Amino acid sequence: MTRSFSRIQTLTKRNIKEIIRDPLSLVFMLALPLFMEILFYLIFHKLTAQFEMRYLAPGIVVFSQSFLTLFTGLLISMDRKTSFLTRLYVSEAKPSEFIFGYALSVIPLALIQAVLFFLVGGIIDTSLFGAGIIPAILLSLVSSLFFIASGILIGSLCNEKSIGGVSSIIITGQSVLSGMWFPVEGLSPTVTTVMKVLPFKNATMLIQNMILGVSDVFSDFLVPSLIVLGYTVIMFILAILAFRSKMIEK
Amino acid sequence: MTAIRTTDLTKVYKDTVAVDRLNLEIEEGELFSLLGVNGAGKTTTIKMLSTLTKPSFGDAEIMGHSILSDQKNIKKLIDISMQETAIARKLTVEENIEFYAKLSGQTRDEAEQTKKTVFSDFGLDKVSKKQASKLSGGWQRKLSIALALVTNPKVLFLDEPTLGLDVIARRELWKTIRQLKSKMTVILTTHYMEEAEALSDRIGIMKDGSLLFVGTKEELYAKTGKTDVENAFISIVSGGELND
Repeated sequence: MTRSFSRIQTLTKRNIKEIIRDPLSLVFMLALPLFMEILFYLIFHKLTAQFEMRYLAPGIVVFSQSFLTLFTGLLISMDRKTSFLTRLYVSEAKPSEFIFGYALSVIPLALIQAVLFFLVGGIIDTSLFGAGIIPAILLSLVSSLFFIASGILIGSLCNEKSIGGVSSIIITGQSVLSGMWFPVEGLSPTVTTVMKVLPFKNATMLIQNMILGVSDVFSDFLVPSLIVLGYTVIMFILAILAFRSKMIEK
Repeated sequence: MTAIRTTDLTKVYKDTVAVDRLNLEIEEGELFSLLGVNGAGKTTTIKMLSTLTKPSFGDAEIMGHSILSDQKNIKKLIDISMQETAIARKLTVEENIEFYAKLSGQTRDEAEQTKKTVFSDFGLDKVSKKQASKLSGGWQRKLSIALALVTNPKVLFLDEPTLGLDVIARRELWKTIRQLKSKMTVILTTHYMEEAEALSDRIGIMKDGSLLFVGTKEELYAKTGKTDVENAFISIVSGGELND
């Protein structure tokens, strides 16, 4: 158990260094969403409530997490391409330890994203600094697990050239189907149903509801939480299966 | 003591027999080279022996442990350097060594000692603070092989260790590989005949998954009537059709 924990710790530290030493990952995970948060607020917040900071900041937090999929996937696919993972497979480390190593290394980045975007949002609009901000940050870590698991799955299955394209499905899904950039009221019933059953809008709504306040625990908290958690569990199961199948060729 | 013993070791991918009933014994401390053209089954053999691929039939023992039933103990005894330069790209040379040492269960003090030994064996102290991705191809390959020695393995697999290196970098690596002789059992696959000639105690020649020859250079020359490994290899693989 101690050996296993120590290996996970070693893998996590290495993965954190790999990610933060890639300037591009910091640009996409932190700088770009931050720029969008400020820009969209300044341009649109007086035109539509959609871009008031209480809606925008939670949306930006979840949107920025979609890039975790891209960079987790890239890290794993590059480790596969260079046979670095193959070399590690010969070590005593188990598949679950690799998965933990990858997942745990990205969670601090998700925390930094949430704190940064809420902090900047709160500086712009101080009403954001309410009782809901801590639960919002904590719940955002739960939603980040969905994107991290997606990254592990994609990284286990795709090569480094196709990672960008495949990850863009998640990034686009989060952009278009989260309802953060436009009001969902005018959309067709089919589209709204799709949005309701997918994790993107639910993740965004869950964090927004922490800031706005929960009026109905079932619909504002339980349902979106369960949907996001359900997708997260499914993604992790698929990621573990894909990763294991790559670890030992049958 | 026998370091590696394979018994009818076979790997079949769909309709292709990658390795066909391989029977081989390699002694402890031996440097054994597996030669063969592309697709001969060298890398698949190494992958099976290093527990990365499950055999379709047959078995192999590494220091007495079966690759089918005792992978956990085998992993404590072996290490591998793949064809590709398998290093952590954004970590420095020093961090790479520390990372691999800690992953293999070494304490901080042990990892520090390992680092000193590996640095001195490979001359890596000159580039210790450099990020691995910024090293030249030769240094990256050196680091990749150095990582395989961090765990102090009893059996080391080197898959095409000098592939793509210039002649100077290759000779430097030969020097390093020679130093490993007698310290551990080394199984090396290579395309370069002169490499096998310069380094090996014994040579195995594979073609289409089958082992066509096993023996010393001298036995190879005697069998084929040639005086160098390249011509002897061509003679064996082509069945004498491509003789000079």
